[in-house]
Amino acid sequence: MLKDKGQVTFEDKWPNMRPIVLKLLKQEPVTQIEWQDLFGAVHSVCLWDERGPYKLRDALQQDIMMYIKQAQARVLAQREDQALLKAYIAEWGKFFTQCNYLPTPFRQLENSINNISKVTSSSTSNSQKKNNNNNIEDSLVRKLMLDSWNQSIFMDIKQRLQDSAMKLVQAERNGESFDSQLVIGVRESYVNLCSNPVDKLQIYRDNFEAAYMQATEEFYKLKANEHLLTNGVQSYMKYADQRLKEEEARAHRYLEPGSGSVAALTQCCEKVLIGEHLPTLLAESAPLIKAGETEKLQLMFRLLDRVPEGVTPILRDLEAHIVSAGLADMVASADIITTDSEKYVERLLDLFKTFSSLVKDAFMDDPRFLTARDKAYKCVVNDTTVFKLELPSSALIRGSKGTAPESKCPELLANYCDMLLRKTPLSKRLTSEQIESRLRDVLLVLKYIENKDVFMRYHKAHLTRRLILDSSADSEKEEDMVEWLREVGMPADYVNKLARMFQDIKVSEDLNTQFRGETTRHDAINIKILNAGAWARGSERVTVSLPLELEDYIPEVEEFYKKKHSGRKLQWYHHMSNGTITFANSVGRFDLDVTTFQMAVLFAWNQRPLEKISYENARLATELPDPELRRTLWSLVAFPKLKRQLLCYEPAVQNPKDFAENTTFWVNQEFALIKNGKPQRRGKINLIGRLQLSTERSQLEDNHSIVQLRILRTQEAIIKILKMRKRITNTALQSELVEILKNMFLPSKKMIKEQLEWLIEHKYMRRDDEDINTFIYMA
Amino acid sequence: MSGDDCDALDRGDSDGQKSDKMFTLKKWNAVAMWSWDVECDTCAICRVQVMDACLRCQGESKKDSYGKQDCVVVWGECNHSFHFCCMSLWVKQNNRCPLCQQEWSIQRMGK
Repeated sequence: MLKDKGQVTFEDKWPNMRPIVLKLLKQEPVTQIEWQDLFGAVHSVCLWDERGPYKLRDALQQDIMMYIKQAQARVLAQREDQALLKAYIAEWGKFFTQCNYLPTPFRQLENSINNISKVTSSSTSNSQKKNNNNNIEDSLVRKLMLDSWNQSIFMDIKQRLQDSAMKLVQAERNGESFDSQLVIGVRESYVNLCSNPVDKLQIYRDNFEAAYMQATEEFYKLKANEHLLTNGVQSYMKYADQRLKEEEARAHRYLEPGSGSVAALTQCCEKVLIGEHLPTLLAESAPLIKAGETEKLQLMFRLLDRVPEGVTPILRDLEAHIVSAGLADMVASADIITTDSEKYVERLLDLFKTFSSLVKDAFMDDPRFLTARDKAYKCVVNDTTVFKLELPSSALIRGSKGTAPESKCPELLANYCDMLLRKTPLSKRLTSEQIESRLRDVLLVLKYIENKDVFMRYHKAHLTRRLILDSSADSEKEEDMVEWLREVGMPADYVNKLARMFQDIKVSEDLNTQFRGETTRHDAINIKILNAGAWARGSERVTVSLPLELEDYIPEVEEFYKKKHSGRKLQWYHHMSNGTITFANSVGRFDLDVTTFQMAVLFAWNQRPLEKISYENARLATELPDPELRRTLWSLVAFPKLKRQLLCYEPAVQNPKDFAENTTFWVNQEFALIKNGKPQRRGKINLIGRLQLSTERSQLEDNHSIVQLRILRTQEAIIKILKMRKRITNTALQSELVEILKNMFLPSKKMIKEQLEWLIEHKYMRRDDEDINTFIYMA
Repeated sequence: MSGDDCDALDRGDSDGQKSDKMFTLKKWNAVAMWSWDVECDTCAICRVQVMDACLRCQGESKKDSYGKQDCVVVWGECNHSFHFCCMSLWVKQNNRCPLCQQEWSIQRMGK
């Protein structure tokens, strides 16, 4: 009996199993009993027949093959593309469903084959893993089925399938509609067909995706050229933009989601539609930028930003445009802007706004474009073609040659600032908010200026004048401005000094009140006693012999001050002091705001009102140095705002330098202020003009001292860096240096080199013996 | 007094002499600068000019920016001068003048 059972062989069982298997393959109904019998049969064959599992497998394969062959015949009977696709999808659908059923009864078969291989491989962990993996996806039979399909029908007709599917896609591109399910069905069969567990999408990718890409590429290669040739670049850009969107949507429909295919396809489209026509498209960018065609630029930007390096040339074009348009604008209005700070700054701001709105509208404020704008605007602001500030190069001070012109922009900017903060027609015309917004504009431009130290110097000089002459329009705004300067990153020591000046003025006001309370003859004098460190470092004092009226006050003030403070010495800055005098002549009485120097000159006539005084005698009377005397006299004989001058002189000269020792001066007894062509009997006029903060000579040296300060700052910064780094390469040093100094000025390569040499010479540092481009700090 | 001047002047440029001045002072805004009366204008301790606040005060200045300027100068008997802040820290370690090594005693303080 047992022996009998032992005799169960594959050959016995198979004839009964086969019809069931065939039925299953053909999706014909099987009864429950048949289904269960199949399980039983597989079980016995695998258990009793040593060779059973393999035989069973081979037989199964044969039948699957046969079934597939029949299916293939049915599919291939279709001539027409769509019908073919439809038939294939139907057959595949059926077969694929069976792939999920048929393996179940053969589970035992799989175990047996795996167990045998387990014995041979004798690797327990391996077999355990395999036993656990008993799900359908990994099933041997299923793999067998799919592989068979793949090797036979699929290999034979995949070309036709793909071609047909691609033809449909092509037709859709040309505007015909069809059942998109056909293409999707094919794609799904490609995806499901793969039995490779590591890369389930392999077949799909190697075939379907590749074909799709290729077809797309070929299609657009042709179309793009065609469109470009017939319709021109601008229309082409619209076309490309449109097509890219379409293709992306199409890819989402026809390509396997989550496989990266869509991205790959998009990239492929971008390459064909944009990348390959890059030069043609880019040729259009400069003219569009020039014409300010923001909409078209926007489109171009959107397209070119898709391909690598597409945007870089546009950035270059934008930069070039800003520089050339900006400079052209400056040059065109050079006449006005070189003389009028207000117009100049307004022009600059207009340009900035124009460029900014271009970047905003055309390039959506993309950071790369903002950077390009900044870079180009910097060129415009710091350009020296329209006007230069001649600075002696550092070399001049240390002995070699050459000048380095710099933009005059910071000076004009500071002038403009002064016009806003001082009592001027401009500042009176504007509301407080307008002034604030304009000051903010100044700070905006200041950001782009390389030689900020020049701005600081002029700004401070203007502030000094405003504070000394009490001519600020709004003291609150003055102090706001100082804080704003701090906010935009101006060097702290500079800003602190400005803040200190305000503080000092307040202290001085208190002192003045006290003084006036203590003395008897006080109504005519105001004193400002200021901190020399904050106000006047390095400025030179000028001697003058004061008129008695003024001289008398001096000891009294000094006495008073000594009581208040100790350990301090006072120095009078008569070139900064000023006052009001009354001038009475045959026409009337006039109040004149004058400098102390002007006072000294005019009071010389009090003893001899009608006399003529020679230049020589004026000098003896005032003891003013020659340049100051000349300048003061000139301001009285040729004050620009006056029709009738205060003093007359002869012989006439063209400028103050030509006054001779014997040139004579006398008071104009016909002096009057003229209003509407009529002389007035009363009136007030300010003859101070621009308050002199230093002597003529030191003004000439002013620019010199800017350079001198730069040298010191550079040395200081180099040492600071070296102290920290101990050793550093030349390139690293240079970039750190620029970083430290950029809020004051941009150090030129030449100046850096000279200062390095100087520091090496003076043993603050040395070059590395092995690498001359490395510096070492010597403590 | 100005009333008289005025009348005299209004009569014209006759031979008015002392009181009838052609130019009379109405207001004078006199400007002077003060500085510490020192021989060396740099504080040898903090290396900052004595006219500026010393380094420590500069660092703290932001807090009470409109407080009175307190960083004054001090003179020793040896006539050397320093920031008072710097010197008061210095004497805690060494009661000698950093420049001449004499025993430090205050001659006067700046005010």
